[in-house]
Parts: sequence; structure tokens; C-alpha cells
Amino acid sequence: MSEIPTALAELNEQEVARLVRERLDAGDDPMAILNDCRRGMDIVGERYKAGDYFLSELIVSGEIFKDSMKLIEPHLKTDANASATRVVLGTVKGDIHNIGKDIVAVLLKGAGFEVHDLGIDVKPATFVDKLKETGAPILGMSGLLTPSFDSMKETIEAVKEAGLRDKVKIVIGGGVVTELVLRHTGADAFTDDGLEGVEICRRFVQEVK
Amino acid sequence: MTPRERVWAAVRLEPYDRAPVIPIIGQFAARQAGMASLDRDSNRMSAVEALRKNFDDMGGYDGKIVAGVTWPISSWRANAPRGRRVLPGQDGVPDNFSVQYDEQVTMTVEDYDTIISKGWNAFCEEYFPRVSGLSLEQIEEYNRGLLDIYLEDAAYWKARGIEVIAGALVVSCEMTLSLARTFPQFTLDLHRMPDRVQAALEAMVPDFIENVLRDTKASGVPWVHISLERGSGAYYNLKTYERFFFPQLKKIVDAVTAKGVACWLHMDTDWTLNLPYLRELPRNMCVCDFDSITDIFKAKEILGGHMCIMGDVSPSLLSLGTVDEVNAYCNRLIDVVGRDGGFIMSSGCEVPLDAKFENVKAMIDSVKNRPYPVSA
Repeated sequence: MSEIPTALAELNEQEVARLVRERLDAGDDPMAILNDCRRGMDIVGERYKAGDYFLSELIVSGEIFKDSMKLIEPHLKTDANASATRVVLGTVKGDIHNIGKDIVAVLLKGAGFEVHDLGIDVKPATFVDKLKETGAPILGMSGLLTPSFDSMKETIEAVKEAGLRDKVKIVIGGGVVTELVLRHTGADAFTDDGLEGVEICRRFVQEVK
Repeated sequence: MTPRERVWAAVRLEPYDRAPVIPIIGQFAARQAGMASLDRDSNRMSAVEALRKNFDDMGGYDGKIVAGVTWPISSWRANAPRGRRVLPGQDGVPDNFSVQYDEQVTMTVEDYDTIISKGWNAFCEEYFPRVSGLSLEQIEEYNRGLLDIYLEDAAYWKARGIEVIAGALVVSCEMTLSLARTFPQFTLDLHRMPDRVQAALEAMVPDFIENVLRDTKASGVPWVHISLERGSGAYYNLKTYERFFFPQLKKIVDAVTAKGVACWLHMDTDWTLNLPYLRELPRNMCVCDFDSITDIFKAKEILGGHMCIMGDVSPSLLSLGTVDEVNAYCNRLIDVVGRDGGFIMSSGCEVPLDAKFENVKAMIDSVKNRPYPVSA
């Protein structure tokens, strides 16, 4: 097995960068290198699920993954996301909290999803436009404040009005998002955990196949 | 019992006539009064009046989390700038949202070294003007204006027998740096330069203690609010907590409780993993206040008989739930967490501004209507 997954899982920033550069210089397939980085992220995820890693390790590993992508991407001959499932992601209208949403974006990329991150304070129409443009089958919405629940609901109504609801699976997330909020908004799933958000998206992929 | 006696009985784990209730009410009162927000800059007296009216509309409760509209005295040294402050109606944010912060990096890596060599307060005298664009004189003058309102309002509540439970504010050392560096960047700093971060955290403690003792003396309110969030097991492993975060908290709590200052530990996010450490803090002088994410029932098992537990009716329940659902949860809190006392009913963090009036009232009334169980 390549050393990259292990080094990434051990959060060894310098070693991962050295190994990625070394393999690129040696002419290795950049897609294979990228997949090794993704395997490292998978190990991080397994350790998180086992309770050995915490949010801080997800952040550090995400940073290493992003830095590795920067090294690898210029060498890719085809789009790394050519066959990836697209996810439209954003913090909903009125809410400017980005930390949780940003973590989920990196984790989704590490898991091989093509992420269209619309940022913060995203209006319902903007979500709908991006869903139409990308054909993404998954929408992820984040919010930390209770008024965000209505913004989520409003967005889901807009998705319905656009005739996309049966084509798009929707997950909502945030520190105070609960079953009550799921019922209020009409989303398909909820989570307060970034990695669980990735698992939900993987499950959605199976369901929409 | 008077409200004040009831609150102190809860803190000291002594019998009381019923559990006290101290909802964390700020923006909710403004909304009930038809104001867009409790803006500490433009409508201070209206905000104070809205809070007083809301207290009476709710039928009263036992403690106010703070007098005036914000924290007293040296709060500018105790709370790192959080980047850009966005008010409702500003930058396209709808009126029905509360004040938010667009977190930005306001502190450099080199600033760690300044904190290590000069301490926190000396660093602030250079840091706050740099970040805010205001002179020290302007910052002090602004703060004096807030203090005047604080003292007037604290006297008002004292005259009514209501306990004010924050005479000083401390944002935990790690959260202060995390706000100044941003959470992701501070996490990377801990990974890349652990010794430097640890030295900075340790260097902050003496000034934090000094600030608390000075502020509680000046306010006449022997309570400090210690804002904890970003050091919890929701974010960091216990090895990190043991090395970087808990030692600083313990030093501050030990020092100020020894001088008679009670500690209100405001513990947002999930602290379930960290609960056993809290038994190392002084008995009968701390309140652990949970925001609905920590397992408060586990907290009762671990901390019951050692420190008072406060919380944790969730914001979602107060906004979206029914009165019956609120009553059911509050009754469970009274019966389980409230058994044998040492419990304060409260909202999980701040009552959201879009909470239903009847739900908040149901939470407040719950302790008035239901006796707390006492073991034989």
C-alpha cells in the first residue's frame, strides 16, 4: 500500500506533501495519487467514527487534503470529478455561519463528491439555479440559528416549485438541527455531525441510483 | 425564599423551596417589544426597558444573566474581537435574524509571542486599537457608557431581590484565541506549533484572574460568566483538553472562587466527554450551564452533589415545539436533574428570538408548578 494514506491518516503534513511531490516527479498517475489521498481521508473518517479522532483531526486532515489537491490538480489530464456525484451546498438565507459548512465541503471532496459550495446567506433562488445548472441530485443546507429553519423550509418550497423535489435529496445540518426541524422543513435527513453528513450523502447516492 | 436565596441555595447544593429558573433572555425580549434587535450601541435604554417588561410579562423569574445590555467593565479585554459584526437588516441579512459575527483572522502567529512576553492585558492595549480602529481612550469611554447602564440596571434588579449572575466576563483562554485566529486556524496552530500556543494560553491566565477580581469588585456582583465552547470534546480529544485547556480553566476557577466569586460555566456544544474533569473544580461554587447538546442527565450522574447544573431546554423546542412538549421536557429535567436540588432551570444557551412566548413561559412556570423530588 502507498505510504500516502498512512501519512495522511497520521496527520503528517510535511510527509504527505513530500510523498505527493515525489510521486508526481516520478511520473505516477496523478489520479492514483489523488485516490491514495482519499483513502487517507477514509481512514481519518473511520477513526472519527471509532471515537479516536475528533473534529480537530477532521480539520487538520482536510487541510492536508486541500494542500495535496493543489499539488495534484495541475497534473490531472481529465477532470478529477468527471464521474463524481454533485452536491450543492450552502448556509441558508440570513445565516452567515460557515465553519460547519466548510468542514462538510472538504469532507465531501475527500470522499470523492463534486461540491458546489455557494457560501453563506444563500437565497432559495440561488440554490435552485445551481441545482438546475449542475443537475446535482443532492442539496445540503446548513444553519446555526433558529430563523434558519424557515430559510431551509423556504428553500425546499422553492425546490418543489421548480419541479426538482423528486430529483433532489436534501440534507440539513447545524448545531441545533433536530428531528423537530426535519419535520418543520420537509428535508430528507438531518445531522449535527459533518462526517455523518457525508455518510448521508453516500446513502443518497445509493437511493437515487 | 427570595429569588436570591433560592439561587444561592442551588449553587451551594442546599435545600430550597423549588428549583430556581434563570432563562437566558436577550434578543427574545427585543422581539417581543417589537424591536429589531437589542442593539447595545443605538438603543440601550430601550433594550433595558424591553428586558424589564419581558421579565414582568413572563411572570418573573429568579435571576438575570446580566444587568444592562452587555457585560460589565473590562469586557473588551475579556472578549476577543470576532471579526465583522452583522446586525439584522444589514448586508442583506433579514430582520428576523439575531446579531451574527463574520469570523475573521484578527490575530497573527507573531501575536502569540507578544502574549507570551507581555501578558494578555498589555497585548490588548496594542491589539484592540489595531483591530477596531479606535484609540484606547475611545474604547474606555465606550465601555464606561455600558458600565453606567450596567450599574443602574444591577441596582434595579437588586432592589427587586433578583440575583444578577454575571459581574464579570471571561471567555476561556482557548476560545479567546480561537475567536481571534478563527476556529480552523487555531486548530491548525495547535497542530503545527503546540508549545507556542500552550505558552500563550498559560501567559493569559494571571491577567484573566486579575480582570475577574477587579470587575466583580467594581460591579458588586460576585459572579463571573466563563464562556466555554471551543475546548469541548465536540472539537478536541481529551489529550489536548488535558494539556492545553483544562489547566487554565482550573487555575482561573480556583483563584476566583477562593476570593468568593461564583463561576457560571457557560458550556455550549457537547461536553459529555469532559464532565469528569469538572469534579476537580471547587465544590459548591460553580454552575455548569449546558445548551442542550451535552447529555445533561449524564452530567447529573457525574457532577450531582458536586456542583449545580443549569439548562438545557433546546432552542429548537422553544421555537418549534408545543407547550405540551416543553412541559414534558421540563418535567423530566425537574424529576431527574433536579432530584435533591442543585439545579437551575434554563434555556439551552440564549432563548432564540423567534421562540414562542407560550413556550418560554411554560419553561419558566414549570418549576413553579412542580415540586422537586428529594431522595429518602
